[in-house]
Amino acid sequence: METAELKHQVKEQIIKFLNLISVTPADIKDDEPLFGEGLGLDSIDSLELIVLMDREYGIKITDPKDGRKVLTDINTMVAYIEQHRTK
Amino acid sequence: MFYIHQTSCITAQQSFVEPTLRSITESVENKLYATENNYDSIPPNVLRRLGKAVKMGIATGNEVLAKQEVDGIILGTANGGLEDCIKFLNQIIQYQEGRLTPTNFVQSTTNAIAGQLGIMYKNKGYNITHVHRGLAFENALIDVEMLLSDHPTNTYLVGGVDEISEYNYTIEDLAGSYKKEILSNTELLNSTTDGSIAGEGAAMFVVNTVKSNATAEVKAIKTFVTKKTETLEKELSQFINTALPKGEKVDLIVSGKNGDARLNNYYALVENQLKETPTTYYKHLTGEFPTSSAVALWLASMVLSRTEPLALLKIEVANPIKNILLYNTYKGNQHSFILVSAV
Repeated sequence: METAELKHQVKEQIIKFLNLISVTPADIKDDEPLFGEGLGLDSIDSLELIVLMDREYGIKITDPKDGRKVLTDINTMVAYIEQHRTK
Repeated sequence: MFYIHQTSCITAQQSFVEPTLRSITESVENKLYATENNYDSIPPNVLRRLGKAVKMGIATGNEVLAKQEVDGIILGTANGGLEDCIKFLNQIIQYQEGRLTPTNFVQSTTNAIAGQLGIMYKNKGYNITHVHRGLAFENALIDVEMLLSDHPTNTYLVGGVDEISEYNYTIEDLAGSYKKEILSNTELLNSTTDGSIAGEGAAMFVVNTVKSNATAEVKAIKTFVTKKTETLEKELSQFINTALPKGEKVDLIVSGKNGDARLNNYYALVENQLKETPTTYYKHLTGEFPTSSAVALWLASMVLSRTEPLALLKIEVANPIKNILLYNTYKGNQHSFILVSAV
């Protein structure tokens, strides 16, 4: 799968998993922070994203330090998925 | 006992904003779903995580808590956010007890509504949810009565909430709680078959011991469990004799009659025992759910505080209404009387 296609898929999955009412994939910029500013996600959402990575891509993030880096924005998430996905 | 100051209610009918109850919303396949256009007061980031019961509870809670601060939150719900609870349980199976998403779990506990309201309003006071099926709301009222007896200067939020969940509907349907045939709610009260139609809703009240500016007074509550009509007859006589002030009468019965032919004898008994008293009904507007008596209390409060009549209730009473008796039975087993009076 091309990176651009994967980014779109990840955005759709984020919207679905987090039930982001009235957000479309086009609203989420690749380099926009997912937490705090930008998309405005919070700590419960970070758990949801870790579950998303596990269920959809077979990636288990066990170290909180890794999680912080991986879940920075769409670019970092997708780069990590491309390197570590098992499905 | 205590006085009602603020009220709010979500049902399938227009009860939340400008509650006129002029035109009727009809049921779909024996379900009366509550309207869902009332959530402006819930922040989008909170709203996206909530199931319907929690949304209805918070929206109605917001409506009254915006007007008056409270010292504690006491709710009644038979099932809470059951739809989300089932989602969580299904995920345990689907993902073989692996990593689970926390939101469904967090929001599906029965105390999620009272807890969420407590968090939103930074209210660290008494916070509890009663879950005794068809008497959950009544037990919340009894709890408030006891709290106000111990702390007469306090003010409390009390309410009842339940949702139609797919799981619960199926279980109740298999148990014979709903009609086998598809029946519109407009025909519900004339039905001669077993079962009712499913409903959902939420009603909230801010209550305290202050009489001035109150909309109604909850004068007495009685709950009991029986299958026997003789016991119901005895309990009603006793309740009327002890709760009603001397020289006063019940001016209106708000009956929980739900179109289930198996329960008609209980509702008929109450009407016959108070023969001279007109009766109005509400379950053709709300459907049947365990905490529907919270909506009955809201309707009684509306009847006592409004000058404009609630058209759908079709109340024909010559004199001003002072005392309203609410009678409800859940499955012909759990029964409650609530006496509500004008202030």
